[in-house]
Amino acid sequence: MAIRSFQARLIYLLIAVLVLLEAGTLISLYVAGQRTLRGIIVNELRVGARVLERILDTRAKQLSDFLRVLALDFAFREAIASGDQPTITSALTNSRSRIDADAVVLIGLDGTVTADTLGGRMAGRKFPFASLLKIAEERGEASGTVSFSGRPYQFVIVPVLGPRPIAWICAGFEVEDRVLADVRHLTSLDVSIWTSSAGGIPALMSTLPPEERNDLIAQMSGMSSPLQPVETTMQLGNATYATLMQSLSTADGSHVNTLLQRDLEEARRPFARLELQIIALSVLLLLVAVAAAVTFARTVTRPLRVLAEGAGRIERGDYVSPIVLKQQDEIGHLATAFNQMQSAIAAREDQIMFQASHDALTGLPNRTLFIDRLSQSIIAARRYGPSVGMIMMDVDRFKDINDTLGHHFGDQLLIEIGRRLEQTIRTSDTVARLGGDEFAVKFTADNAEHAAQVAARVGTAFDAPFVLGDVSIDVNASLGIALFPDHADDPDTLMKRADIAMYDAKKNHSEIAIYEPGRDEHSIRRLSLMMELRQAIVRDELELYFQPKIDVVTERVVHAEALIRWNHPKHGVMRPDEFIPLAEQSGKISLVTKWVIRNAIKQCAEWKRNGIDLTVAVNLSALDLFDSELPTFITGLLSDAGLPPEKLMLEITESAIMKDAAYAQRILAEMKRRGICLAIDDFGTGYSSLAHLKRLPVDELKIDKSFVLNLTESATDDLVIVRSTIELGHNMGLVVIAEGVETQESWSILKRLGCDMAQGYYMSPPLPASKFSEWLASSRWGTGNG
Amino acid sequence: MMASCLRVPFRMRSLLAIAAAFVTLPLAAATIDVRVQDARGGAVRDAVVYAVPEGRSLPLAKKTAVMDQKNRMFIPHVLAVQTGTSIRFPNSDDIRHHVYSFSPAKPFQLPLYKGTPANPLLFSKAGVVTLGCNIHDQMSAFIVVVDTPYFERADNGKATLAGVEPGRYTVRVWYPDMRDEPRPQTINVTGDARVAVSFVAGHAAAPPAADHHAHGNP
Ligand SMILES: [Cu+2]
Repeated sequence: MAIRSFQARLIYLLIAVLVLLEAGTLISLYVAGQRTLRGIIVNELRVGARVLERILDTRAKQLSDFLRVLALDFAFREAIASGDQPTITSALTNSRSRIDADAVVLIGLDGTVTADTLGGRMAGRKFPFASLLKIAEERGEASGTVSFSGRPYQFVIVPVLGPRPIAWICAGFEVEDRVLADVRHLTSLDVSIWTSSAGGIPALMSTLPPEERNDLIAQMSGMSSPLQPVETTMQLGNATYATLMQSLSTADGSHVNTLLQRDLEEARRPFARLELQIIALSVLLLLVAVAAAVTFARTVTRPLRVLAEGAGRIERGDYVSPIVLKQQDEIGHLATAFNQMQSAIAAREDQIMFQASHDALTGLPNRTLFIDRLSQSIIAARRYGPSVGMIMMDVDRFKDINDTLGHHFGDQLLIEIGRRLEQTIRTSDTVARLGGDEFAVKFTADNAEHAAQVAARVGTAFDAPFVLGDVSIDVNASLGIALFPDHADDPDTLMKRADIAMYDAKKNHSEIAIYEPGRDEHSIRRLSLMMELRQAIVRDELELYFQPKIDVVTERVVHAEALIRWNHPKHGVMRPDEFIPLAEQSGKISLVTKWVIRNAIKQCAEWKRNGIDLTVAVNLSALDLFDSELPTFITGLLSDAGLPPEKLMLEITESAIMKDAAYAQRILAEMKRRGICLAIDDFGTGYSSLAHLKRLPVDELKIDKSFVLNLTESATDDLVIVRSTIELGHNMGLVVIAEGVETQESWSILKRLGCDMAQGYYMSPPLPASKFSEWLASSRWGTGNG
Repeated sequence: MMASCLRVPFRMRSLLAIAAAFVTLPLAAATIDVRVQDARGGAVRDAVVYAVPEGRSLPLAKKTAVMDQKNRMFIPHVLAVQTGTSIRFPNSDDIRHHVYSFSPAKPFQLPLYKGTPANPLLFSKAGVVTLGCNIHDQMSAFIVVVDTPYFERADNGKATLAGVEPGRYTVRVWYPDMRDEPRPQTINVTGDARVAVSFVAGHAAAPPAADHHAHGNP
């Protein structure tokens, strides 16, 4: 569009300039032509008038000469002098025929006509053209054009000498049409002579065509003779005439006017033809110029358009079709540059596409491409079936391998794993590295059984030991299978389900697991938290909070229970019940427990150094009870910190003890043997048997907070349970503590019932170590200033 | 020779005038002094003044005059004669002339001739006779024929008519190219009186002159 308008603008501009130029030229030409024409016509008319006068004069002179010769003839003079009228008349008649005059008149010296050749019509009267006669008297002869008998006549008068004038002889010659025709022929002008005499009918002789002649007669009637030559234009018939009108003679009631006229149309015709030729030439020139402009604009804009189209193709992602321009000029170079740019873009885009869709290390498709292909397969499967299977896998103990043998080895291992995995699959299937030690396989599966077979084949990649350099290593992997449409409807879900299956495999120490329907999405978060927990320890995201345990009698703090918090970067402060079960599931609980014990002992030692005598309580997981090394670990920490063992209390839940009571009993006995205090946590929820309880070497019994939180005088059920538990504990020689004390009322009840210790928000919430120190110093329950 | 012939009448008249002056009473002759001037007081050339008696006629002159032709000119240009005078037309040139007159007072022609024609021509009718030559158009002359012996050329605008018998006269004037004749003046001449008459000549308009026909208004 831009190009077209550029082209159009270019053309319009050129045309406008040309049109202006030509219009200017034509106008000035026309104006100049008109002016010239007017000048020419005026000049022609004046020349024509002179020509007419000259012709008439010449004729008059000639006639005058004839007449003079005649008047000198002695016999003629004798005849005239004879006074004999018939003789005189016959002499005149003879003379008339001799000089071919139309009329001959003899005038006496007194101006009276003596005789004429008009049948005596004028004889005895005054000669009508007295002015002419007067001129003759003054100059010896006269000639003039007069209106006579309704026609223009040239009259010449010469004297009859004897030898002094004895009479005047006057000869009249009608001005013939031929005279006007001669003028017309000489000058190309129309010539008219308009005559009028007193009492006579005006007459016109003219070279004009009849119609124009009639118009002229109509217009001349009533017009008086001009004193000065008049230049004007007259509309005669259909034509316009430039007219020069002048009076030839005006005397004695005789008016003779000449009109010289030029048909403007006709006069302009050569000009008009010239103008027409110029206009035709201009139009032709304009057309040629327009054609040239269009061609020029095309030659300029066509390559631009080709370039624009080429750029458009590149924009649409067409990197194959080059711009074809066989020009060696700048635009041609531009086209070449465009093509180079096109192939460069194509290459770079290929590279980017590859990088974007492939793993740099192994060259396998990456997560993006994997999801893409998985989506494609699912779409295809939705239409044509049958099923899409995917395997999620990670390499067992890869971190250990990496740590032990180095990252380079780890990388090589991953490359080799990728290579082997590719060999286990069909070409239509896809192996991808999703990141870290995580791989995925997508394949077409008929059913779950078939999928399991494929997974088994994939698993063979790990059968042979990996030999890399000097090192030979056995590597195992956990494979989780999920199927479309059996387990999920979309790629995302399918991958999560495969992931869950993989963790199942890992958890069960089986190589392959298939997704079990019903596993909720929550497990995903849990799984990821599991992954992150180890990092949390490294990154120091874990923190200990402390909640005081108050001696009900002294109303002073005696113990501080250490409670773990996870300052998770995304989820914020997480309470132990949110992640401890995961730690238990993922086998990382011992890490957490050891961290808690280590830090609790460290805090205890610090308090001791500050003169604060408090026993710290730490919670143990059920799984911790299977860690036979734990007692030794704790003893080591205590001795390192210089603390007596009774400064540490381990709290074990009732349910944990009940899981494997025999084994737990052995560990607890060991702890007890080492002098460490023990408490049963959450008592009342585990349906533990009294027989068991009796055998456990515990010092303390903690009533579950569910019984305490709503403890009022009116809550009879809770009241009964709490009272009986306290009695039971006391009967067994145990210290009884209640947690979840949040009100003055519950505190009072517990005190009345004889509970030994209390813990809860009524006294204090769990606090970070620093806040706890402040609390110790400021609270009425505190150790310092109570 | 011709010049002496011309002078004879003048000399005679002056002798007569002298005689009249000496013998006034016995002869009883009067004198008329005529002055002819143009409107500006200038002299009119070749004017002829003459006094015509009223109620009576005087005897015809039996005289002879000469109109010579020399160097293609008539000499004199104006010749005044009394009726009854015979005039010779000698040709003093060695080329031929063809003298003519279309004037009603005396139309004639002397076809081409040399020398002096045998017979003079008699001018018996008063009037102005315009002479021409058919060969030489420019030649012209006037013979003023008057019915009285009392006439004179008024060279230098003055003329004196002497020896006029008492009586009633009409004094007139003529000059070449005259358009309108100055009004004739009638006078009574008695005894030996000396009468003065003057004319103012209306001047001729153009070089071509009018002849004696041109009395009236055109
Ligand atoms: Cu001659």
